[in-house]
Amino acid sequence: MDQSKDKSKFLPLTEATSYILLALDEPLHGYGVMQKIDQLSKGTVSVGPGTLYGAFTTLERDGLIAKVGEEDRRKIFRLTSLGRQVLQAQIQRLDILVRQARSIGESI
Amino acid sequence: MNKKTIQKTKWFWAWNDDKEEAWLGQMASEGWHLVSLRLPGNYLFEEGSPRQDVYRMDYISNPKDYQDYLQLFKDAGWEHIGRMGSWQYFRKSVQGNQVPEIYTDNTSKAQKYQRVLVTLVILLPILTVFVTRPAVEGGPWYDLHSIIKTLLSLFLIFYVYALVRIFNRILQLTKK
Repeated sequence: MDQSKDKSKFLPLTEATSYILLALDEPLHGYGVMQKIDQLSKGTVSVGPGTLYGAFTTLERDGLIAKVGEEDRRKIFRLTSLGRQVLQAQIQRLDILVRQARSIGESI
Repeated sequence: MNKKTIQKTKWFWAWNDDKEEAWLGQMASEGWHLVSLRLPGNYLFEEGSPRQDVYRMDYISNPKDYQDYLQLFKDAGWEHIGRMGSWQYFRKSVQGNQVPEIYTDNTSKAQKYQRVLVTLVILLPILTVFVTRPAVEGGPWYDLHSIIKTLLSLFLIFYVYALVRIFNRILQLTKK
Protein backbone atom coordinates (compact mmCIF):
# COMPACT_ATOMS: atom_id res chain seq x y z
CA MET A 1 0.00 0.00 0.00
CA ASP A 2 1.11 3.50 -0.78
CA GLN A 3 2.30 5.42 2.27
CA SER A 4 0.25 8.59 1.83
CA LYS A 5 -2.91 6.53 1.54
CA ASP A 6 -1.90 4.74 4.70
CA LYS A 7 -1.73 8.03 6.58
CA SER A 8 -4.93 9.51 5.20
CA LYS A 9 -7.12 6.91 6.88
CA PHE A 10 -6.26 8.52 10.22
CA LEU A 11 -7.19 12.03 9.08
CA PRO A 12 -8.63 14.35 10.18
CA LEU A 13 -7.59 13.87 13.79
CA THR A 14 -9.87 15.18 16.50
CA GLU A 15 -8.63 18.18 18.45
CA ALA A 16 -7.94 15.96 21.47
CA THR A 17 -6.00 13.39 19.41
CA SER A 18 -3.94 16.13 17.74
CA TYR A 19 -2.91 17.47 21.14
CA ILE A 20 -2.19 13.99 22.51
CA LEU A 21 0.19 13.27 19.61
CA LEU A 22 1.77 16.71 19.96
CA ALA A 23 2.34 16.13 23.69
CA LEU A 24 3.92 12.73 23.00
CA ASP A 25 6.80 14.28 21.10
CA GLU A 26 8.54 13.48 24.39
CA PRO A 27 7.89 10.31 26.43
CA LEU A 28 5.10 10.92 28.96
CA HIS A 29 2.60 9.01 31.07
CA GLY A 30 -1.12 9.72 31.00
CA TYR A 31 -1.27 12.43 33.61
CA GLY A 32 1.80 14.08 32.10
CA VAL A 33 -0.06 14.22 28.78
CA MET A 34 -3.06 15.87 30.44
CA GLN A 35 -0.91 18.53 32.07
CA LYS A 36 1.04 19.19 28.90
CA ILE A 37 -2.13 19.59 26.83
CA ASP A 38 -3.43 22.08 29.38
CA GLN A 39 -0.22 24.06 28.95
CA LEU A 40 0.09 23.68 25.15
CA SER A 41 -3.51 24.69 24.51
CA LYS A 42 -3.30 27.58 26.99
CA GLY A 43 -6.21 26.02 28.87
CA THR A 44 -8.53 25.85 25.84
CA VAL A 45 -8.47 22.05 25.68
CA SER A 46 -8.69 19.63 28.55
CA VAL A 47 -8.69 15.88 28.05
CA GLY A 48 -10.48 13.70 30.59
CA PRO A 49 -9.09 10.32 31.67
CA GLY A 50 -11.81 8.35 29.85
CA THR A 51 -11.05 10.12 26.59
CA LEU A 52 -7.31 9.74 27.11
CA TYR A 53 -7.43 6.04 28.00
CA GLY A 54 -9.52 5.33 24.91
CA ALA A 55 -7.17 7.37 22.74
CA PHE A 56 -4.09 5.56 24.10
CA THR A 57 -5.68 2.19 23.33
CA THR A 58 -6.60 3.15 19.77
CA LEU A 59 -3.39 5.03 18.99
CA GLU A 60 -1.24 2.18 20.30
CA ARG A 61 -3.23 -0.38 18.30
CA ASP A 62 -2.85 1.74 15.14
CA GLY A 63 0.87 2.13 15.77
CA LEU A 64 0.85 5.93 16.07
CA ILE A 65 2.24 5.76 19.61
CA ALA A 66 4.21 3.07 21.41
CA LYS A 67 4.82 2.16 25.02
CA VAL A 68 8.41 3.00 25.91
CA GLY A 69 8.35 2.30 29.64
CA GLU A 70 6.40 1.96 32.82
CA GLU A 71 6.61 3.83 36.10
CA ASP A 72 4.51 2.90 39.16
CA ARG A 73 1.65 1.41 37.12
CA ARG A 74 1.79 4.32 34.69
CA LYS A 75 2.50 3.44 31.07
CA ILE A 76 4.83 5.82 29.30
CA PHE A 77 4.12 6.43 25.61
CA ARG A 78 5.88 8.15 22.79
CA LEU A 79 5.10 9.09 19.22
CA THR A 80 6.22 6.55 16.58
CA SER A 81 7.51 7.60 13.15
CA LEU A 82 4.08 6.80 11.68
CA GLY A 83 2.50 8.92 14.41
CA ARG A 84 4.85 11.77 13.53
CA GLN A 85 3.91 11.54 9.83
CA VAL A 86 0.20 11.57 10.65
CA LEU A 87 0.65 14.54 12.97
CA GLN A 88 2.58 16.42 10.28
CA ALA A 89 -0.16 15.77 7.75
CA GLN A 90 -2.74 17.04 10.22
CA ILE A 91 -0.69 20.18 10.89
CA GLN A 92 -0.54 20.83 7.13
CA ARG A 93 -4.32 20.62 6.92
CA LEU A 94 -4.74 22.97 9.87
CA ASP A 95 -2.14 25.34 8.48
CA ILE A 96 -4.13 25.76 5.28
CA LEU A 97 -7.28 26.34 7.31
CA VAL A 98 -5.62 28.94 9.55
CA ARG A 99 -4.08 30.81 6.60
CA GLN A 100 -7.40 30.96 4.77
CA ALA A 101 -9.26 31.93 7.92
CA ARG A 102 -6.79 34.76 8.57
CA SER A 103 -7.01 36.22 5.08
CA ILE A 104 -10.78 35.94 4.83
CA GLY A 105 -11.28 36.79 8.49
CA GLU A 106 -9.70 40.22 8.00
CA SER A 107 -12.45 41.20 5.59
CA ILE A 108 -15.33 39.87 7.72
CA MET B 1 -18.50 6.03 66.07
CA ASN B 2 -20.13 4.19 63.26
CA LYS B 3 -21.40 6.23 60.40
CA LYS B 4 -25.00 5.83 59.40
CA THR B 5 -25.55 3.96 56.17
CA ILE B 6 -28.54 3.32 53.98
CA GLN B 7 -29.17 0.90 51.16
CA LYS B 8 -31.14 1.93 48.13
CA THR B 9 -32.45 -0.14 45.29
CA LYS B 10 -32.96 1.68 42.05
CA TRP B 11 -32.76 0.57 38.47
CA PHE B 12 -31.25 2.51 35.59
CA TRP B 13 -30.82 1.34 32.01
CA ALA B 14 -27.47 1.51 30.26
CA TRP B 15 -28.68 4.27 27.89
CA ASN B 16 -29.74 6.37 30.90
CA ASP B 17 -26.44 6.30 32.75
CA ASP B 18 -26.42 10.11 32.86
CA LYS B 19 -29.60 9.93 34.96
CA GLU B 20 -27.86 7.52 37.31
CA GLU B 21 -24.88 9.88 37.57
CA ALA B 22 -27.20 12.81 38.31
CA TRP B 23 -29.04 10.82 40.99
CA LEU B 24 -25.77 9.90 42.73
CA GLY B 25 -24.75 13.57 42.65
CA GLN B 26 -28.12 14.53 44.09
CA MET B 27 -27.68 12.01 46.93
CA ALA B 28 -24.22 13.48 47.67
CA SER B 29 -25.65 16.99 47.83
CA GLU B 30 -28.06 15.68 50.49
CA GLY B 31 -25.17 14.18 52.46
CA TRP B 32 -25.37 10.58 51.23
CA HIS B 33 -22.16 9.37 49.63
CA LEU B 34 -21.88 6.19 47.60
CA VAL B 35 -19.71 3.60 49.32
CA SER B 36 -20.20 0.45 47.29
CA LEU B 37 -22.33 -1.48 44.84
CA ARG B 38 -23.14 -5.02 45.84
CA LEU B 39 -25.69 -6.20 43.35
CA PRO B 40 -27.02 -4.63 40.17
CA GLY B 41 -29.26 -1.73 41.20
CA ASN B 42 -28.21 -1.97 44.86
CA TYR B 43 -26.38 1.05 46.26
CA LEU B 44 -24.88 1.55 49.70
CA PHE B 45 -24.58 5.13 50.94
CA GLU B 46 -22.84 6.57 53.97
CA GLU B 47 -23.97 9.71 55.74
CA GLY B 48 -21.63 12.68 55.75
CA SER B 49 -21.66 16.38 55.15
CA PRO B 50 -23.36 17.45 51.90
CA ARG B 51 -20.91 17.77 49.02
CA GLN B 52 -20.99 19.01 45.46
CA ASP B 53 -19.59 15.89 43.82
CA VAL B 54 -19.76 14.79 40.24
CA TYR B 55 -20.34 11.10 39.60
CA ARG B 56 -19.33 9.56 36.30
CA MET B 57 -19.60 6.04 34.96
CA ASP B 58 -17.30 4.40 32.49
CA TYR B 59 -17.70 1.09 30.69
CA ILE B 60 -14.59 -1.04 30.28
CA SER B 61 -15.38 -4.58 29.23
CA ASN B 62 -12.03 -6.32 29.36
CA PRO B 63 -9.28 -4.27 30.92
CA LYS B 64 -5.96 -6.04 30.45
CA ASP B 65 -4.31 -3.20 32.29
CA TYR B 66 -6.97 -2.41 34.89
CA GLN B 67 -4.43 -1.03 37.39
CA ASP B 68 -3.00 1.41 34.83
CA TYR B 69 -6.53 2.43 33.94
CA LEU B 70 -7.43 3.15 37.58
CA GLN B 71 -4.13 4.95 38.13
CA LEU B 72 -4.83 7.31 35.23
CA PHE B 73 -8.21 8.28 36.71
CA LYS B 74 -6.66 8.67 40.16
CA ASP B 75 -3.93 10.95 38.82
CA ALA B 76 -6.63 13.06 37.18
CA GLY B 77 -8.35 13.45 40.55
CA TRP B 78 -11.12 10.86 40.17
CA GLU B 79 -11.87 8.52 43.05
CA HIS B 80 -12.83 5.01 42.01
CA ILE B 81 -15.73 3.89 44.19
CA GLY B 82 -16.32 0.48 42.70
CA ARG B 83 -17.60 -1.46 39.78
CA MET B 84 -20.71 -3.31 38.81
CA GLY B 85 -19.84 -5.73 36.07
CA SER B 86 -18.01 -3.67 33.50
CA TRP B 87 -19.42 -0.37 34.78
CA GLN B 88 -16.89 1.69 36.71
CA TYR B 89 -18.05 4.32 39.18
CA PHE B 90 -15.97 7.44 39.71
CA ARG B 91 -16.41 10.62 41.72
CA LYS B 92 -14.72 14.00 41.78
CA SER B 93 -15.50 17.11 43.77
CA VAL B 94 -16.60 20.21 41.89
CA GLN B 95 -14.31 23.19 42.16
CA GLY B 96 -15.61 26.47 40.81
CA ASN B 97 -18.13 26.51 38.00
CA GLN B 98 -16.53 23.89 35.83
CA VAL B 99 -18.06 20.42 35.89
CA PRO B 100 -15.28 17.84 35.50
CA GLU B 101 -15.79 15.16 32.86
CA ILE B 102 -14.10 11.83 32.20
CA TYR B 103 -15.05 12.12 28.52
CA THR B 104 -14.22 15.50 27.08
CA ASP B 105 -15.46 14.99 23.53
CA ASN B 106 -18.44 13.29 21.91
CA THR B 107 -16.27 10.99 19.77
CA SER B 108 -14.77 9.28 22.79
CA LYS B 109 -18.06 9.31 24.69
CA ALA B 110 -19.72 7.53 21.76
CA GLN B 111 -16.98 4.89 21.96
CA LYS B 112 -18.06 4.09 25.50
CA TYR B 113 -21.57 3.21 24.27
CA GLN B 114 -20.06 1.31 21.36
CA ARG B 115 -18.34 -0.96 23.89
CA VAL B 116 -21.70 -1.54 25.64
CA LEU B 117 -23.27 -2.32 22.28
CA VAL B 118 -20.54 -4.78 21.31
CA THR B 119 -21.04 -6.72 24.56
CA LEU B 120 -24.78 -6.96 23.92
CA VAL B 121 -24.37 -7.94 20.28
CA ILE B 122 -22.01 -10.79 21.22
CA LEU B 123 -24.70 -12.29 23.47
CA LEU B 124 -27.48 -11.90 20.89
CA PRO B 125 -26.81 -15.09 18.83
CA ILE B 126 -26.62 -17.21 22.00
CA LEU B 127 -29.99 -15.90 23.13
CA THR B 128 -31.49 -16.41 19.67
CA VAL B 129 -30.34 -20.03 19.58
CA PHE B 130 -32.06 -20.72 22.89
CA VAL B 131 -35.29 -19.11 21.76
CA THR B 132 -35.47 -20.80 18.36
CA ARG B 133 -34.30 -24.26 19.39
CA PRO B 134 -37.26 -26.68 19.10
CA ALA B 135 -38.34 -28.63 22.17
CA VAL B 136 -38.64 -32.37 22.10
CA GLU B 137 -42.40 -32.96 22.05
CA GLY B 138 -43.64 -35.23 24.80
CA GLY B 139 -40.23 -35.07 26.47
CA PRO B 140 -40.08 -34.87 30.26
CA TRP B 141 -39.21 -31.17 30.26
CA TYR B 142 -41.68 -30.12 27.56
CA ASP B 143 -43.88 -27.86 29.73
CA LEU B 144 -40.96 -26.26 31.46
CA HIS B 145 -39.24 -25.78 28.15
CA SER B 146 -42.14 -23.84 26.65
CA ILE B 147 -42.39 -21.60 29.72
CA ILE B 148 -38.69 -20.82 29.57
CA LYS B 149 -38.95 -20.26 25.86
CA THR B 150 -41.77 -17.75 26.30
CA LEU B 151 -39.79 -15.87 28.95
CA LEU B 152 -36.71 -15.87 26.77
CA SER B 153 -38.70 -14.59 23.80
CA LEU B 154 -39.99 -11.66 25.86
CA PHE B 155 -36.46 -11.03 27.03
CA LEU B 156 -35.22 -11.13 23.44
CA ILE B 157 -37.76 -8.47 22.42
CA PHE B 158 -36.62 -6.23 25.25
CA TYR B 159 -33.01 -6.99 24.38
CA VAL B 160 -33.48 -5.73 20.85
CA TYR B 161 -35.19 -2.62 22.26
CA ALA B 162 -32.11 -2.02 24.46
CA LEU B 163 -29.84 -2.37 21.43
CA VAL B 164 -31.87 0.25 19.57
CA ARG B 165 -31.78 2.67 22.52
CA ILE B 166 -28.00 2.39 22.89
CA PHE B 167 -27.51 2.66 19.15
CA ASN B 168 -29.58 5.86 19.21
CA ARG B 169 -27.39 7.26 21.96
CA ILE B 170 -24.32 6.66 19.78
CA LEU B 171 -26.02 8.36 16.81
CA GLN B 172 -26.89 11.41 18.93
CA LEU B 173 -23.28 11.75 20.02
CA THR B 174 -21.73 11.26 16.59
CA LYS B 175 -24.16 13.50 14.68
CA LYS B 176 -23.11 16.71 16.43
